[in-house]
Amino acid sequence: MRIYLHDGSFTGFLTALALALERGGQDCAIAPEKTADGAAEPELFTEYLGAGADPAKAEAMRELFERRGSAESWRHARYAFLSESPGSGAAVLAYARLLLEKGPAADHMLADDRVRRVHALSASVGGEAHMFKGFVRFTELADGTLYSRIEPEHNILTLITGHFRARLGGFDWVIHDARRGSAALYFKGRLVVAPLEKARLQENAGEALVRELWKHFFRTAAIKERENPRLQRRNVPLKYRKNLTEFG
Amino acid sequence: MCYAFRMDLQRKLEILADSAKYDASCASSGSGRGGRGTGAAHISGVCHSWTADGRCVSLLKVLMTNECVYDCAYCVNRRSNDVPRASLTPDEIASLAFEFYKRNYIEGLFLSSGIAGSPDRTMELMLEAVRKLRREFRFNGYVHLKVIPGADQGLIDQAGLWADRVSVNIELPTDRSLRLLAPGKTRETVLRPMHRLAGRIAAYRDERRSIKSAPAYAPAGQSTQLIVGATPETDREIMKLSEALYGKMRLKRVYYSAFVPVSRDSRLPALAEPPLLREHRLYQADWLLRFYGFTADELLDEKHPELDLAFDPKTVWALNNLDRFPLEVNTADYEELLRVPGIGVTSAGRILRARRAGALQLDDLRKLGVVMKRAVYFVTAGGRYAGVKKESGEAIKMKLLEHKNSDRQLDLFGGLEQAKEGLAETVTGQL
Repeated sequence: MRIYLHDGSFTGFLTALALALERGGQDCAIAPEKTADGAAEPELFTEYLGAGADPAKAEAMRELFERRGSAESWRHARYAFLSESPGSGAAVLAYARLLLEKGPAADHMLADDRVRRVHALSASVGGEAHMFKGFVRFTELADGTLYSRIEPEHNILTLITGHFRARLGGFDWVIHDARRGSAALYFKGRLVVAPLEKARLQENAGEALVRELWKHFFRTAAIKERENPRLQRRNVPLKYRKNLTEFG
Repeated sequence: MCYAFRMDLQRKLEILADSAKYDASCASSGSGRGGRGTGAAHISGVCHSWTADGRCVSLLKVLMTNECVYDCAYCVNRRSNDVPRASLTPDEIASLAFEFYKRNYIEGLFLSSGIAGSPDRTMELMLEAVRKLRREFRFNGYVHLKVIPGADQGLIDQAGLWADRVSVNIELPTDRSLRLLAPGKTRETVLRPMHRLAGRIAAYRDERRSIKSAPAYAPAGQSTQLIVGATPETDREIMKLSEALYGKMRLKRVYYSAFVPVSRDSRLPALAEPPLLREHRLYQADWLLRFYGFTADELLDEKHPELDLAFDPKTVWALNNLDRFPLEVNTADYEELLRVPGIGVTSAGRILRARRAGALQLDDLRKLGVVMKRAVYFVTAGGRYAGVKKESGEAIKMKLLEHKNSDRQLDLFGGLEQAKEGLAETVTGQL
């Protein structure tokens, strides 16, 4: 068994994928160097190789997905990577092998587990990205910048920046993924994604009042005779409530 | 901007959100507005939160005023009701909406109102609020604007120029009920502005077909609401009305609102609680009209004018039409698949797609998202059938009921969630 380790970047992930496919994809796997809970315990009889990050190899992978499959296959692979779930490397590897074997027909094989796994990961990421278009909550800082803290399950930050750029293009804003220590910073019309561990914030003076108005509105909008906390929990899972103003 | 907010604004907002909450419409979909300024609308809509009753919050839903000259028995804002009254100025409405939007609390504004003074004056002030929001704040987010029946035609016409969606609530399904519970209102006064708006929407749409730069008029269309359970109309009467509204009036949505007894009045039924299950069944039937190719007559007839509370309307239809089943999933067309209980818009699409890669087995169907505990009685795959041997409606009913009891499926909104999920992927994208 051989495991190609990648640095966590998408280019690194695709490089590891390319190396694994060069060996036919059999008896090998890809995994991140670092996982959320530190490095995994090395297993016996397994060879660990750093894949590095080779842009040319990554580009070849993009072509593979787009040519053997379609723009949609490529999107599924990207989203599956962004899921950061433990099985995503293996799932994308199996999916890529299937595309090599079957071509575009592979994406029609919706009952095949190799396709289902990647489609399911991709749907989960796409779904969470859509939810966060609603769940981002900005606070206005003293200098007028809008700041939001999020802690999504998947790495969806880059999937929502376009949405906020289109609607809040006239403001400066920051969306801070506190779980991953990175942030999308939008200043004077330019967007940068950069590491950000801790943010020191000074709120605008009127902020508490606007927040109170919103909370009052939110509480009032519920119809008492229809109360249904289970339904509410399904739509707003508890894990997301920490950063939602109206639940604070 | 927010420094201008005063503390009494909180109290006013509370009163006016409280009186607006019985309007079921929460959609922010159907418009792709954007451009210079602040804000954009998302074609499939975005929910920002869900209240304790599990309903989606996507818009700042408020009344401009809860004062009202009318005395409609079903309405919390009726003149004779002893409740605190308040009003917001156009400035307050516009800046509240803007400040909430900027923080991504909401997708936009839903503005309704009681009728204070005259319908014209009320409509003018509402238009003023939306105009301020669009012009002064250069706001491109979503706006749902209620139109006040009885207002001048010229004012009604303006509504669609500023708003993404416009609506007039019918509230009571028949003229008879309206006369009984809403003195001063008739069917005619409600339908006239709806007609007018439908005409405007169609005319602007035609113009835009030839001239791309022509202004958009209510790009997210028109909707309405019916109160369910306050008056004795049957489900059949309600569904026939909805069908006509979707067909002739080209409405985008009809909302159904289970009557919440907001007053004790001898003209109103004494309900222990709002008829939520009935409301849920009406939404399911509504979905069947809009996305599944059913007609109201197929679902309900004179002998069976009420929807079955124990089974969803598609299952009831299938049980009454067993001669059309079981259906072979490898050869059935899309419209036929949609009529199978347990198969929705999403899973029917998946079946078509997966069939292109090879013949489907029964086992595959679950993997494609088909709810097999319902579909199993109505489909074959490669000629194989796994339902009950004796194909009688009663036997299937018993089996379906068994499942229900074993699941303790009192989960009212499971079906709605599923329908919503299927809905999100349809072309119209009406959430």
